[in-house]
Amino acid sequence: MAEEQKQATAPSAPPRRDGGGGHGGGHSGGGHSGGSHSGGSHGGLRREGGGPGGAGGPGGPRRGKRQYFRKKKVCKFCVEKMDFIDYKRADILSQFVQERGKILPRRMTGVCSRHQRWLGVAIKRARNIALLPFAGSAAGTQQPRAVVAPAAGAPAGGSAGTHAAPAAATPAPAAAAPTEVSNA
Amino acid sequence: MEERLYDLIFIARPATAEEDVKKVLTVIEHTCTEKGGKVEKAETWGTRKLAYKVAKHREGMYYYQQIRTSHPDLIAELERRLRVQDTVIKYQTVRLDEDLKRQKKLVDKRDKRTARRPRRATAPPAAAAPQAAPAAPEHNVPAS
Repeated sequence: MAEEQKQATAPSAPPRRDGGGGHGGGHSGGGHSGGSHSGGSHGGLRREGGGPGGAGGPGGPRRGKRQYFRKKKVCKFCVEKMDFIDYKRADILSQFVQERGKILPRRMTGVCSRHQRWLGVAIKRARNIALLPFAGSAAGTQQPRAVVAPAAGAPAGGSAGTHAAPAAATPAPAAAAPTEVSNA
Repeated sequence: MEERLYDLIFIARPATAEEDVKKVLTVIEHTCTEKGGKVEKAETWGTRKLAYKVAKHREGMYYYQQIRTSHPDLIAELERRLRVQDTVIKYQTVRLDEDLKRQKKLVDKRDKRTARRPRRATAPPAAAAPQAAPAAPEHNVPAS
């Protein structure tokens, strides 16, 4: 039934687009993607999520211009001419580690590939002797976990609310979401 | 066999009596002398916060030693003895000499290059000057 409804909406959409105000354009696009992805309801949802964000379309070219000036990153270790990264200096290593203990990628820190390799080894050694955390900070790991669960739930609810307009698509995912939760 | 340099760090339980720590230190020294090694450096870092819980402790007393030896079995023996100690909650031995060797090589290379550079120095300044000139105004603009 759902598929039939979608197919019904899909043909109706193109004429609207042809007759077309710019207003209807965005909606018809959403309908199209939903129809084409009738198999995967989730995929369809995501696509439609992109549709309303059609405001991002004009935003794209703006981003493409790259008017801002990016400072060229230089490897800190090269500048200081360090040929050996000491695993005992947790104060230095902690600059290249996220708050939760992840090693920061080179593209964020600007460290050259050679030093990044040494840095990785040093960080891992420091972790072994409890100078740096493996994961999470020393201040308890349970609280953040509790925060993550509601955060994951909230976006799902919000997205369902935004997609109230396409009638056929929303009921199915909405029904699917609670079942998943109950299963888990 | 060539000599190797090792780092040895061990963490003692917080608020351990000094005597117990000394006992551990003497054990390390003893095994070193037994097996033909030498403790080159010994530091105490004091009580530090651990990045994660170790043996239900959030803090630990860090002790650092540098050991030079030509017998690799010494490290195995040291680790075995540290494992037995109740006051030691964590230890780590790291072989350093290879890293230091690599470091020395790189330093030598750089020294050589810097020694050679004065000969080439005639060309780079000419190239560097034009680059520096445009760069300077750019810096001034944000300042003004």
